Amino acid sequence: MDVIPSIDLLRGNVVRLQHGDFTLITTYGDPEAVLDGLDVPRGSRLHVVDLEGSRSGKPSEVGVVRRLARRDLRVQVGGGIRSVADARTWIDAGAEKVVVGTVAADAPEVLRAIVDDLGAERVIAAVDVRDGVVRVAGWERDARASLAEVLARVESLGIQEALVTDIRRDGALRGPSFDLYRSLSVECGGHAAARARSTAAAWPPHSISIIASGGVSTLSDVVSLARLGVDCVVGKALLERRIDLREARARVATPNAIPERIVPCLDVRDGRVVKGVSFTNIRDAGDPVECAMRYEAEGADELVILDISATDAGKRTALDTVRRVAEALFIPLTVGGGVRSIDDFRALLRAGADRVGINTAALRDPSLLSRCAAEFGVQAVVLSCDAKRLNGRFEAIVRSGKEASGVDAVEWCKRAKELGAGEILLTSVDRDGTNLGYDVELLRAVSSVLKVGVIASGGAGKLKDFREAIEAGGARAVLAASLFHDRKLSIGEVKDYLEGEGIPVRR
Amino acid sequence: MNITLIDSPVANVANIARALRTAGAGLRITRDAGEIASARKLVLPGVGSFVAAMRWLEETSIDIAIKRAVHSGASLLGICVGHQLLFDVSYEMGTTPGLGLVRGDVRKFEGPLPVPQIGWNRVTSSVLPNASYYFVNSYAVLDSPHAIARADYGGPFVAAVQKGRVFGVQFHPEKSSKAGLQVLRNFVAWT
Repeated sequence: MDVIPSIDLLRGNVVRLQHGDFTLITTYGDPEAVLDGLDVPRGSRLHVVDLEGSRSGKPSEVGVVRRLARRDLRVQVGGGIRSVADARTWIDAGAEKVVVGTVAADAPEVLRAIVDDLGAERVIAAVDVRDGVVRVAGWERDARASLAEVLARVESLGIQEALVTDIRRDGALRGPSFDLYRSLSVECGGHAAARARSTAAAWPPHSISIIASGGVSTLSDVVSLARLGVDCVVGKALLERRIDLREARARVATPNAIPERIVPCLDVRDGRVVKGVSFTNIRDAGDPVECAMRYEAEGADELVILDISATDAGKRTALDTVRRVAEALFIPLTVGGGVRSIDDFRALLRAGADRVGINTAALRDPSLLSRCAAEFGVQAVVLSCDAKRLNGRFEAIVRSGKEASGVDAVEWCKRAKELGAGEILLTSVDRDGTNLGYDVELLRAVSSVLKVGVIASGGAGKLKDFREAIEAGGARAVLAASLFHDRKLSIGEVKDYLEGEGIPVRR
Repeated sequence: MNITLIDSPVANVANIARALRTAGAGLRITRDAGEIASARKLVLPGVGSFVAAMRWLEETSIDIAIKRAVHSGASLLGICVGHQLLFDVSYEMGTTPGLGLVRGDVRKFEGPLPVPQIGWNRVTSSVLPNASYYFVNSYAVLDSPHAIARADYGGPFVAAVQKGRVFGVQFHPEKSSKAGLQVLRNFVAWT
């Protein structure tokens, strides 16, 4: 799959419009300078939108496209192509392909004429969708055909690619509409669900390649789309350095190489597994070693032990619990809870933990993270951050979910990463123990500004919660405690489900 | 006592010992160069710095003992940095010669992905179980004529190597669940 850098042009400059509104403009400057800054290599595809053209219906950036084509870029240009002459203008300027929107949706006879003149391989059909309805003319009015009708029409002309934009998501950095692209991927046979149905006579109904556009704002978005068999164009997120083009292309080359992790968690107190709702109403739930062994046998990719003992005697018991669990386990073990010093950290590693989570103590003394990273390596250091919606933001909560710290959780996670945290275990205090689903907004708020992985925690209840945490939330691991412990779902069921949805898991 | 586990201070010996025992090994854990030189089946673990691990082997003359054992027909399994030590040279902090038992050199990941690589990664092999294994590494051998398993982290790298009776695995079999234990079981049972 490919990641196609995208620039919008207005009066010779790279710009962005918010929600397609010509009054909400951000200007980034000269196109060639912008592309140099983005490290777009020779031979790369480049998506160019002529914004003035899309409004006026006349090609307005021909000179710029000619310059870009001379830089050995494979330019695909769209915006306001209403006739064979318009399309010809762009191809004559050196564009490799034209992106035809309004005409594809509204005027099939003109689309046919463009295909006859240029050849179908030089035409990409652009379909802009808002709330399920195809929009045309710079997004300013509804089209007369449905998405399925437009796709069927362009396919019948031999066109091989469709650029599908969710207007509500475009430029908003909220993430692409995975549901839309998953259903398109199924209809186009690019997804496991379509292959499973391949015995049906007319299935899949389409064979066109889908290029996603709109809302792609993180590396995780790009990878998740590639797993659905969907290419994507990336604009604002590249301009704002949220996505590195080289890194994104490396990841989409093998989007399934790195499996997403399913991480059961044992909350342990005084040597027993316990489970509470929102950190209270704690009840006994079994022997940690038995639980750990069952989870590994079920396919757990990692185990987390959170020690919630309040007393010093409890902490000593916890070390013994870690030792006993580590003895029985052949997957990575992360331990957190009550780690106050580098000595506590070392003691847990010696007891058999591979990684140690630090929470309250790191907020009180952030240098603890950097000191542990220097001594034991970043791979051993996990920031455990409990976050709660407070005062219109996410606030870090300390002392086992009891006390607001006054610190912004997203900012704190960013800082912790800089100090040496190799991964963030991010728990929603609001959702913990409720089975209402992970707090996807919290996950995305943190994962979209961090390069290190986020372990989603708090609220898992249904199968789709796991998918949403990974796709929309950008989490690299999903943690659950009571759900697995109470056998409402097994790790195997979660893995089967994710795999069926195109998300790779370890087998 | 069919396996001699080299008791390197630059390694997670306890975890590997436990995994080897689970895989059916009778273990002797030692730093004695004489015992190592006369061993029939050796495991060389290692984590952290190649330079520190190699320096320890040289200071204790265990480097010579390992080579002597291999030359007289012993089998050897290197794990993680122990795997890297099998090769000709590492470019971690300058240029450091390794044991030179297997062709190839150890280089830092130069792709665009963050280092260290921490986590599960899919390994393809005609010899080992095709599965995901657990990796923690910033350095790797990108190619070797003796590669028997490969993985990809912003570019291909060697996940496992075999030349005659010398084996190496870049991943942590002791943290790789069933697939990792199977690799150890194969080595323990190998004659």
